[in-house]
Amino acid sequence: MSINKIDPNKWVDKYSDYLFNFTIVRVNDREVAHDLISETFLAGLKSMKNFKGEATERTWLISILKRKIIDHYRKTNSRKGKAEIKIQYNDDSNEGDWLEENAPDRFDKTAEDVMENEELGIAILECMEHLTEKQAKIFKMKTIDGFETEAICNEFDITPSNLWVIIHRARTTLAQCLEKNWF
Amino acid sequence: MNNKKTLFIDCSEAAYCCDKKQYNEASLPEKLKMLLHLVFCKRCRKYSSHNNRLTELMEKSNIKTCTEDEKKVWKEGIKKELTDK
Ligand SMILES: [Zn+2]
Repeated sequence: MSINKIDPNKWVDKYSDYLFNFTIVRVNDREVAHDLISETFLAGLKSMKNFKGEATERTWLISILKRKIIDHYRKTNSRKGKAEIKIQYNDDSNEGDWLEENAPDRFDKTAEDVMENEELGIAILECMEHLTEKQAKIFKMKTIDGFETEAICNEFDITPSNLWVIIHRARTTLAQCLEKNWF
Repeated sequence: MNNKKTLFIDCSEAAYCCDKKQYNEASLPEKLKMLLHLVFCKRCRKYSSHNNRLTELMEKSNIKTCTEDEKKVWKEGIKKELTDK
């Protein structure tokens, strides 16, 4: 098995969209999602020594995040929370002491009211990791956030033809990546 | 680009029209020229159908991403924690 390295300085650029999407479908509140991800990063930093490189960084961060989400449900104790608390959970590990064994490679899909298309969202975000940083940013602004072409061109100081070339490359890469399972 | 001159466009121009169409930014002439190209070009037909499918999947997934400001806050938090150690 290959050993995965840990590099906190890259966490935000590499994983924050992925973590955010994972969180927002479960807590449905932007501010709460933001705080939970902050807590996740900090807990990750505190328990870096437990990362043995067997799981991927992202899988490991997700396992921490899941615990944070469950803790959040416990605190708010809402009815929605009770319904969703069926996520796999080991009660005996301590705060800030995350073990990799607690990090299953795929999210245990026992929670029933997770968004129906979550798997698709995750697949797309995973495929977006194949894009360059600039392609990903521009594709996101154009496609997900719905910015006007002109606004993006101004922001990145590029011409509309530059933009469409970047969009074309991004779309080609994404379609290729998604083709196997989703086309 | 001299796409106004001719009805027949090449593959790269067809792709350009097809991409614009995904964002409702293709003009009617562009759309017509693309359709005409697709009649003759199998490769672009494939690209076009993949491209349409991608648009469909993007909408269906309802992905939400975070803003650059949100990312900045996280980055600063991590940086602070790392230097405090
Ligand atoms: Zn063609």
